[in-house]
Amino acid sequence: MEKAKKENKNEKVGPDGLTKKERRALKLSARPPQDNRSATEPTQNSLEKTQVNKLGNTITEIQNTIAAISMDSSKSLSEKEQRRLEWAKKLEEQNKEKGVDKNVSKAELKAKRREMQEAQRQLKTEHSKPVTKTPSTEKKDVEKKLETIQKHDTKKVDMKKEETKISPKKDIKKIIQPHKVQLVQHLYNEEILKLEANAVIVHQDIHPAFIKLGVQYGNKVVLGSNARCLALLAALKSLINDLKSHPKQEFCRYLETVLQVSANYLYTCRPFAVSMTNALRYFKLQLTQIDTNLKDSEKKAKLQDIIDTYIDDDINKAGDAISMKVREKISNGDVILTYGCSSLIRKILLEAHNDGKKFQVIVVDGRPLLEGKELLRRLVVAGIKCTYVLINALSYVMNSVTKVVLGAHALLTNGYVMSRIGTAQVALVAREYNKPVLVCCETYKFSERVQTDSFVYNELGNPDALSVTHINIPTALKKWKDVAKLTPLSLLYDVTPPDLVTAVVTEIAILPCTSVPVVLRINASDTT
Amino acid sequence: MLDQENLSDVSNLVSDIKHKKIYNSFDVALKTEDLLEKLILQRQWKSARELMKLVKSRIKFIRDDLPTEATATNVMRHILKIIREEYESASKKKGEGQSLHQLVTSNSSDILDYSESLSSLRSSILDHLGEYKVEIESSCDNIAAQASEHIHMDEMIMTVGKSHTVEKFLKCAAKDRNFKVVVVEGAPFYYGHSLAASLAKSNIQTTVIPDSAVFAMMSRVNKVIIGTHTVLANGGLRASSGIHAVALAAKQFSVPVVVLSHMYKFTPLYVVSNNHEAFNICASPADVIPQSAGKILNDIEVYNPIFDYVPPELVTLFISHQGGNAPSYVYRLLSELYHQDDYDM
Repeated sequence: MEKAKKENKNEKVGPDGLTKKERRALKLSARPPQDNRSATEPTQNSLEKTQVNKLGNTITEIQNTIAAISMDSSKSLSEKEQRRLEWAKKLEEQNKEKGVDKNVSKAELKAKRREMQEAQRQLKTEHSKPVTKTPSTEKKDVEKKLETIQKHDTKKVDMKKEETKISPKKDIKKIIQPHKVQLVQHLYNEEILKLEANAVIVHQDIHPAFIKLGVQYGNKVVLGSNARCLALLAALKSLINDLKSHPKQEFCRYLETVLQVSANYLYTCRPFAVSMTNALRYFKLQLTQIDTNLKDSEKKAKLQDIIDTYIDDDINKAGDAISMKVREKISNGDVILTYGCSSLIRKILLEAHNDGKKFQVIVVDGRPLLEGKELLRRLVVAGIKCTYVLINALSYVMNSVTKVVLGAHALLTNGYVMSRIGTAQVALVAREYNKPVLVCCETYKFSERVQTDSFVYNELGNPDALSVTHINIPTALKKWKDVAKLTPLSLLYDVTPPDLVTAVVTEIAILPCTSVPVVLRINASDTT
Repeated sequence: MLDQENLSDVSNLVSDIKHKKIYNSFDVALKTEDLLEKLILQRQWKSARELMKLVKSRIKFIRDDLPTEATATNVMRHILKIIREEYESASKKKGEGQSLHQLVTSNSSDILDYSESLSSLRSSILDHLGEYKVEIESSCDNIAAQASEHIHMDEMIMTVGKSHTVEKFLKCAAKDRNFKVVVVEGAPFYYGHSLAASLAKSNIQTTVIPDSAVFAMMSRVNKVIIGTHTVLANGGLRASSGIHAVALAAKQFSVPVVVLSHMYKFTPLYVVSNNHEAFNICASPADVIPQSAGKILNDIEVYNPIFDYVPPELVTLFISHQGGNAPSYVYRLLSELYHQDDYDM
């Protein structure tokens, strides 16, 4: 992946004197194409698809039309093709005026757009999952691509001209974007797609369970990493249940392709959580190991069984084990501080309470998500004595705390804990007051990724949520969109350095943060 | 009863502060100075000692009623020192607190008791007060004028909540420097939002982040510039809540923390714990969790503290209108500002 990007950069500085916008197009088209093992021809095709789509992403109806048609038209764009494009555009406008077949054509357009997005998405997921490829093939891919790019360079420039003619200047400016924090500009990339995905375009290849899931992810109804993983596995189960066997393809292979399409769709709604990536990887691995001689129904049953076992072993039982371990550490009279709303922490605290332990909980909460309220509600209902503060009052309450228990989104190989934004700060203040910090995390959330800051890989929350108070009263920030230099920034995760964490409680043992690679190694040798 | 009437001026001030009619510390300082000017001009007093007694009773009143209000008492303390100085120069005697040598060699008759009635005292004190008033009024501009010495091109600066001094400082720096500002919103009061809106309007690239994102953001920040409520005698701060965590994060990433402070915020007071009774006040918990949360409100405790104690080792620099100083030098600034005898009353 790194190589691809580097060569990409070389391409950027190339001597052909391209303008900024053209470079953008180049950059985009230089991403690994979806499936290039077969031939260069489809690669080119998809390249052009993406390119056209990116250029035409100016959202206006006309441009989409053109994009769709141009994609439809043929493999390479000659001058002739361009003329045809313009002609098609005129035709489309006429159609609109007539109002004949409007609905049908719209639906078709939508489908086509969908397909294009699919292609783009595939590129993206390919991007995010370099594990499946060996480095040598990847290098090849990149070389191939560069060749194709150079071949089509001139054509692209032509295309560019055409596109600029059509799109009004305003839209170009929009692409440059005033309301984006430069530091995390790379995280905004998803947003355009997200907007379109939110419009819920039905695609025939995606199971309704996944469509629903995508919307839930996108709207952050399903938010926690455990919840996201469980929801994904549930959707996967209903997909397996409903999937009809393909006449030509072997069931598992067919399922694999369908799953890939669905996963790509989900990715556009929201980038994957580490838990989801790990679960999917595990499932795909199992998929390859299924005996091909079985009947489809047997395969189905077996796959369902695999998922059930995964949920049971890696999520539920792991949670139970962690809960038991932490319960041993909670003694009567403890004051436990926790941040946000982790499903695992909730389980631990409730079970410890049911076990007869007498302790208090301080729930610390952070804007704009204010998830802690939910945890607070459940703990209070269970009869646990609770205190609720916002994160600014941390130093005020920390003195009375005896233990800090935190949840995690993922544990990274270098020992950093990726968790809800604010967790690092809680750990930091806890260290200042010399309080032990326990991070609870199932091993299925351990990741091979390494990260030392919170910007390289992160997700962005809704910036609008920052401009209102906790009771939805708009503040002085409400008109931020009118002021060019004002930008609210809401990150979803941060990483806590290992020196702020006393120990990580996993289902295997209570470990130091730095043991993550050991656990990963052992787990890997177990499964293969 | 008579005593109560005499204190009506100061009790008005206290109620204004309590009801947030006077909001920022600059206005408090000016009002206090005004109050004492009137007192000196209108009240009957024969000697410096009587006048000092009047002022001291006012300081006590404020301290009892508003233990966290430091600006008003600081201004009064400084005026006490002015009275002492003027008396000394009028009576041409040396006061105590001099060098050891002088203390040893001086005879007891030289010790001042401020009881002489001097005719020129009133006018000379009023003159001096006039100067002090100008000093207070220009303090903000003087601090802002130093901005370009502290901010370089293309810096990323973090600030918390809203401080008029910081606002002016940054805007002044923006005249000839290009930099970005990250404003921590300071929930549940959201003062950061109005600061951010104001900075962005004067063409400074401004990013607003929630309090929870401080740690994540700090790794990219070059400087933390904040205002404070009070500077304590050990060089620590009583600042708005959340700043302790910001300062800790800054320490973690070795980011300098610069505190802008007027001289009237330096307080000869040692409080070194966040939970000290006289140190903190809690605002309404309704700002933290809405009343509409319903039944669970019966069973929970909610805190909404206003201040944070920041220990001196987390502060890199104080900037006052006289220039920059390290926290370790605060004791010396205090002895310049106030008379030893007035530290504790």
